[in-house]
Amino acid sequence: MAIIKGKVFVYGHDVNTDVIFPGKYTYTVTEPQEIASHSLEDEDPDFIKEVKPGDIIIAGKNFGCGSSREQAAFCFKYLGMGAIIAESYSRIYFRNCINAGLPALEIKNLLGKVKRGDVVEINTETGTVTLPDGSTVSFPPLPPEVDQIMQKGGLDEYIKAKLAAKNS
Amino acid sequence: MGKTIIEKIFYDHLIDKNESVAPGSIVWISIDYKSARDFAGANVVNNLEKNFTDNLIADKNRTMFTFDCVAPAKTIPYAVNQQRCRDFARKEGLKVYDVDAGIGSHIIIDEYAKPGMTIVSTDSHFNIMGAIACFGQGMGDVDISYIWKTGRTWFEVPQTVKLNFTGKRGGSIRAKDIALFMLKNFGSRTFLGQVVELYGPEIEKLTLDERITIASMGTEMGAISIMIPTVGLDGFTEFKADADAEYAKVYELSFDDLKEPLVAAPPHPHNVHGVSEFAGKKVDTVFIGSCTNGRYSDFEEVARLVKGRQIKTNGYIVPSSRRIYGQLMKSGILETLFDAGFLIANPGCGGCASGQIGMTGDGEVIVSTSNRNFKGKQGNGEVHIASPATAAMSALSGTICGL
Repeated sequence: MAIIKGKVFVYGHDVNTDVIFPGKYTYTVTEPQEIASHSLEDEDPDFIKEVKPGDIIIAGKNFGCGSSREQAAFCFKYLGMGAIIAESYSRIYFRNCINAGLPALEIKNLLGKVKRGDVVEINTETGTVTLPDGSTVSFPPLPPEVDQIMQKGGLDEYIKAKLAAKNS
Repeated sequence: MGKTIIEKIFYDHLIDKNESVAPGSIVWISIDYKSARDFAGANVVNNLEKNFTDNLIADKNRTMFTFDCVAPAKTIPYAVNQQRCRDFARKEGLKVYDVDAGIGSHIIIDEYAKPGMTIVSTDSHFNIMGAIACFGQGMGDVDISYIWKTGRTWFEVPQTVKLNFTGKRGGSIRAKDIALFMLKNFGSRTFLGQVVELYGPEIEKLTLDERITIASMGTEMGAISIMIPTVGLDGFTEFKADADAEYAKVYELSFDDLKEPLVAAPPHPHNVHGVSEFAGKKVDTVFIGSCTNGRYSDFEEVARLVKGRQIKTNGYIVPSSRRIYGQLMKSGILETLFDAGFLIANPGCGGCASGQIGMTGDGEVIVSTSNRNFKGKQGNGEVHIASPATAAMSALSGTICGL
């Protein structure tokens, strides 16, 4: 059973990739730990001081809009974050999360029900999130093709496995 | 059932012709042209060399680098990345559009793209290909790496919506104003993950340059792509949706509600207001360029407006490509702009993506013809997005104003 449990950081709508990972660092900063250290720098400078592996971001609509820079998804992966939950995603950003093997769940109407520091628990097998008050909300499973990429831990391993299968 | 433009393109590119291109289906499609920029190019090379030993590139004739973000490299790390791409290109026999060439999406739309094709790059504004009913898509480095390797990718077939423009376009309304008008009415999320097809008598009259401006801002609307049927567009084969295509929704906008040029104030591209609301707002700097407004006709109009006069702000001219730069030079437009007080920079992305020109300091007010005004996007200043005409008028007066 896959359980992701962590404290949450809560943001609003239209959180863009420039505030998640500033363009000025794109491709000048290349080490995973250094990429991770700039996460959400222009949105919430305290985030990086407080975040722990397994923590969860909860946000509103259109999370990750803007530039296609994948560092804005990989920075959270490198931090060891448990998951992102948003009402909706920019589609490029959503792909980048899948490619990074970072769980990106689409759940509506969570804003207002959780606050920064609350602990929530995600069960990816039952497709439910348990909120601090004990109530649960459910989320739909990923499409099978996309889920296969996630199961492999990202696009790197998925493509390698696919090509190996083709060659054998 | 008929197909929309994106459904037709995906159907034509299906790896497995038995797959459905109904919205929501996930399909594997072949990609006609694949590129990567100086931003991300080195990561693409790293991914390929780390994971594979041979056959790194599926189709060497249709895979290329375009250096446009920081061109020429302004710091050593950028130079190192660019050289890594060059070395790889030499080894693999790939074409490099180097630091002099300009914005990759503009090179590709002018030299390679055709209606109905599929094209990807590490550039979120690659959906400007929708200007000629071509599927262009920006993706992350990992995605692009495997498309270079395999020639294909997965994609969820997006829903298509139809947007009909009615009424007659006013004389002071530019293509950028039409894009901002869409952002004003539909914001950043109405079209999230969708393709928007544009229709209407005034849409059919749009030039290629105007179509590029509008299509480029689909990204800011959250759309996968704005697709403009090539009906009425000289020099392009006609590519349009089937007459009985089905749309998830049909919207209408009227030019009767677009009476004056528009400006997007910080911090979001959909924070759009009439230019008159900014009357008296002091401007420090004007940037004219980008993949949204870096075409010949954009600078031609600016030159017409400033000819024989002096601008009162800093002014940066950044043509989108070397080809356009050459045309502007030979026609005398660059000279007119220079005489009016503009700084003429080499082609490329300019201030976008913290590039080679056009960063702003705290409190600096810039009128920019680019496409985003997020915090940190073009430095620390206040980025106001507008058309080249509005940018030119603002440069002349020193305050934000339109035609």
